[in-house]
Amino acid sequence: MDRKDVDTAVAENTHLRGLYGVMGGLLAIMAALANDDRGPSSQWFFVIAALALGLATLATWRYYNKNFGRATPTSRDVRRDVVVMMVGVAVLILGSLFLSSRASWSLDLPVNTTAMGMGWILLVAVYASVGIRPHHLVLYGALFIAGAVPVWERGGMSGNTGLYMAGAAMIVGGLLDHRLLVQRFGSAAALEQEDDRAGTQ
Amino acid sequence: MPEPSDDLVLDRLIHEPGRLAILTVLSSVSAADFVFLQRTTGLTKGNLSSHLSKLEDAGLVTVEKRFVRKKPNTNVTLTPTGAERVARHWDQLERLRRRSEPGSQETPA
Repeated sequence: MDRKDVDTAVAENTHLRGLYGVMGGLLAIMAALANDDRGPSSQWFFVIAALALGLATLATWRYYNKNFGRATPTSRDVRRDVVVMMVGVAVLILGSLFLSSRASWSLDLPVNTTAMGMGWILLVAVYASVGIRPHHLVLYGALFIAGAVPVWERGGMSGNTGLYMAGAAMIVGGLLDHRLLVQRFGSAAALEQEDDRAGTQ
Repeated sequence: MPEPSDDLVLDRLIHEPGRLAILTVLSSVSAADFVFLQRTTGLTKGNLSSHLSKLEDAGLVTVEKRFVRKKPNTNVTLTPTGAERVARHWDQLERLRRRSEPGSQETPA
């Protein structure tokens, strides 16, 4: 047994709970729809959708706790995560302003800073938590690169399009993470079968 | 026959693979429940229970049983003694690994 294998298993059980990423992706798409002239016009749609998403997130939390357990991170890990995200967000904001904004020092490039920023933050988050896997690189890297191609309309609906793209990337990435989690640790059904064999149910 | 040095004497309680995995998981987190330990170590429920009992009796872990939404929940934390002993155990394993490498300069104390 290698110590690193155990540490990796802990990171994977904690951070490959990809259904949360699916919820995040749906939230990004909802945010885009709210800004989209072609989206639903009724305010109630968003209230009901937000409630449904909240309930789905709660159900996801309960599912993961029941079938994969709960662990409390160390305060050192929490501090590290906060620092990483603060640095990541700072780079995101400064980068967006530098690449495409009204600031006098901006390069004012026709890029999609929403897509680039979301791609960057998602890559930083997985790198710091569980390590980048091939599908993260493909999905979030493609999101970043798609935003960096200098063909975007300045202002306009570019930000919204970025949100749709980020939402799609998070949904697919989340599903693939969840699949990895189940492949690595077994399905919920496998845990129940083991309980049945042990005569505990 | 010369006495083996401390470097070559492994902690038999911790060295068992299941218990070493449990303690190593607990050293990476602040606390973990039974299902998290079961999933992450790959141990069966019975094995995990048995190992946790031994570790608790030796004072290496604290096991707290409680009810969460009317369902039993077991939460496990590493004691300071447990943290020290598992860290020392991994250090010893690393020293043994380096000593076994060809051309190693390390000699027993």
